Amino acid sequence: MSVELVWALITGAALFGVGIYGALSQTNLVMIMMGVELILAGALINLVAFWRYLHPDAMSGQMFVLIVMTVMALEMAVGFGVAIARFRSKGSVEMEEAAELKE
Amino acid sequence: MTFIGLVILVPLLAAVAILCWRKRSRELALSATGISFLSSLGLLFGPGSELILPGLPNMPLRLVATPLTALLSTMVAVVSTLVLIYATGYMAKDKEKNRFFATLLLFIAAMQTLVLAGDWILLLSAWELIGLSSYLLIGFWYEKPGVKTAATRAFLVTRSADLGLYIAAFMLIASAGSSDIATTLNTDGSIAIVAGIFLLIAAMGKSAQTPLHDWLQGAMAGPTPVSALLHSATLVAAGAILLIRTAPMLPPETLAVIGVVGGVTALVTGLMALGESDLKRLLAASTSSQYGLMFLAVGAGVPLAALLHLIAHAAIKSSLFLGAGVFQHSRGSTALSDLAGVARDQPRIFIGFAIAALALAGIPPLSGFFSKDTIIAATMAASNAWLFAPLALAGTVLTGAYMARMLRILWQGSARKKTLVGLKQMSIGFGGLVALVIVLGVLFPSIETFIAMPLPGNRLAVVLGLVAALTGLLLGWFIPARTLMGPLLEKANQGFSLAGGFDRLCVRPVFVIAHACEKLERRLYAAVLAVGQTGINIAHMTRNSDEQGIDLFIFSIVRRTIKLGNHARTLQSGLIHRELAISVIVTAGLFIFAAIGLLMY
Amino acid sequence: MITGQSIFIGFFGVAAVWFGIVVFRTFSMVRSAIALLFSQTALGAMFLTMQAEFLGVLQIMMMATEMSIMAFFMVMFMMDPGGMGKMEMTHQKRLSLIVGLVSFVGAVAIAIFIDWGPVATTVADTAQQTKALGLELLGRSMLVFEMAGVTILTAMIAATSVAIQPLPLSAIKHKKDRV
Repeated sequence: MSVELVWALITGAALFGVGIYGALSQTNLVMIMMGVELILAGALINLVAFWRYLHPDAMSGQMFVLIVMTVMALEMAVGFGVAIARFRSKGSVEMEEAAELKE
Repeated sequence: MTFIGLVILVPLLAAVAILCWRKRSRELALSATGISFLSSLGLLFGPGSELILPGLPNMPLRLVATPLTALLSTMVAVVSTLVLIYATGYMAKDKEKNRFFATLLLFIAAMQTLVLAGDWILLLSAWELIGLSSYLLIGFWYEKPGVKTAATRAFLVTRSADLGLYIAAFMLIASAGSSDIATTLNTDGSIAIVAGIFLLIAAMGKSAQTPLHDWLQGAMAGPTPVSALLHSATLVAAGAILLIRTAPMLPPETLAVIGVVGGVTALVTGLMALGESDLKRLLAASTSSQYGLMFLAVGAGVPLAALLHLIAHAAIKSSLFLGAGVFQHSRGSTALSDLAGVARDQPRIFIGFAIAALALAGIPPLSGFFSKDTIIAATMAASNAWLFAPLALAGTVLTGAYMARMLRILWQGSARKKTLVGLKQMSIGFGGLVALVIVLGVLFPSIETFIAMPLPGNRLAVVLGLVAALTGLLLGWFIPARTLMGPLLEKANQGFSLAGGFDRLCVRPVFVIAHACEKLERRLYAAVLAVGQTGINIAHMTRNSDEQGIDLFIFSIVRRTIKLGNHARTLQSGLIHRELAISVIVTAGLFIFAAIGLLMY
Repeated sequence: MITGQSIFIGFFGVAAVWFGIVVFRTFSMVRSAIALLFSQTALGAMFLTMQAEFLGVLQIMMMATEMSIMAFFMVMFMMDPGGMGKMEMTHQKRLSLIVGLVSFVGAVAIAIFIDWGPVATTVADTAQQTKALGLELLGRSMLVFEMAGVTILTAMIAATSVAIQPLPLSAIKHKKDRV
């Protein structure tokens, strides 16, 4: 039980919490995506901490990190594509006005 | 051997040449028959020869030149040469000369093969070939109405009778083990009786004996040279030739039947001839009658008598027909009413005609007298003389009667002058045959020694024959047919048909069967169509059930799913942040739940 | 035990969280983006501290690029990029606060109260690490690598197809006439 490990995990938890707050409370699509970025960052730090302090010889930990980074990038790309399309058709990316998606 | 080959092959090759070359058909035909005639003389005066050709396994084809066959071959050659000379004149104005001469040559080749045949297979083939040539020649002027029917009728009747020959030939070959005619003539016992009956049936067909005599009347629709060659001297002779050749084999029972058939024919067709109103049909009926007398002779057990009468009749009847042909050209028809007085148009032809007619009636010293005499003597010497002799005498009387009647009608009338084309050739042929008629009587004794068969002689027969002939002639000349025949005239004109004749007995039942078969077939066809229709109906039903049944079911499921989705949609608010919050909370809740579960267990 | 590593981890961790909070507190959009950038960079520095050099460098490089692009998008799509209007752009604030706090507390509890087992003290050299990672990538995790590649391609295509503008009919007609 090392301090570094615990401290890294707490940081991850904090980022996770801030990210959730941001994703749920923001009205703008881009801001929501930034919240998601923070959530994923929290996950990343947890992963690296576990790798470093529990299994440093197993490289699959770093592999996992690479995959998560890829996912972050992809999700941002697709999300921004959707934002462009939405902006073209409606003129804004505010999520409050997007209730008509229900129809 | 070479003579046999020449006799048969030269006319055949000439026929092929005419068909290919289509020029100078007359010259080709005449030269072919001339060469054939000389070769047959070579056969007659030379030693007996034999030609064996490969045929079926163990049954080679044979052509033999015995005295009998050589004599017959010569007869065929002589008559065909003279008739051919006549035909060049008769067909002078016809446009289809090539076809005519080619078919005639084909017939001559086939007839020679038949006469010279030494085994049954070849005889059967030649028999069929002469039937075919007869059909082609009778139907020569096929565009004239009624000709095609006559040709088909002749072909069908003779063909049906040929079945007898097939059965007899197969029986004889099977019992003797070889197809050689000479070997099979040693058969005896019940096979001989039955085979003999079948041979008789075949002979009846070809020689136009009752009840198969009708086709010969219709065959007169062909050109007169055809009638002269085929239907007086050669084709109809095939029947008699068959019986003469197989005579050694025939047992007395069969001979009795043959004799009865011949006698009845002589009587019936003689009466028909007496009542006839057409010259050629009269001569046709007369031919049947004379062949009936020949069958009578065979039935009496003296085939040589039949042979002599056959040769004499060949010359006589051919010349009668050739004369009738001249009369036909002169007046343009063969009906006796049209021909009244034609004797005065062509006096010289009529003289020859009258000579031939008297010869047929049996007046000495013409050949007919001698042959008739032998027949009457034979019947009187036979075992069934009580039946055969009166029939023979009745036949002689009738012969004289219709011949005299014919001469009377032709003589009594006024002349109508008309120049004829080709009269010279016709006269040459005609004259040749009449000369034969006169001369053959002298040759008969040498023929007797040549063939080496017994021949009964009988003074009584001679006297009776003469008396019968003269009676007939006087009756025919002085008394018209209506008075002579009385109620029989109508029956005679109908050909003495019994029970409606062949039409009612054979043709109508066949048509009934044909109609029934057609109806059956139509029903079967409808049934097949119905089966097909059932298959199609099943397919339609399947498709409909699939479309309505299964598709409906599937679409109803789809609709219900959509309705369910619509219902579920009302549950949501559509606001994105709310949705996000809900998903986060629920996921967290699930996670905690799973963690607690893991910790507990 | 307090080591230099732990001090740096603590420092960079606080910096990451602080900048993360700033992302959502400020009114200016550009400042949000920059704050996020710094947050991610602090994260990268933490990686470097934990001797995952490759990952740290990767993180810093990637995040730098991403955040600048995000700044572009901010400027394009935001009503008020500069934040001059000082408008409150949140909804359901209380709910989200509660949810965020609950998740934070839960994760911390898990982090503190679970015994993680023996902690490793030494880590391989950087060069060896990179080599080992490379071998891992192309050896045992080859399938994962491939899947990642395919997924990237798919996402690229999807994003492009969603984002491009369909040609107006007049342009198509014009194009056709030219041929």
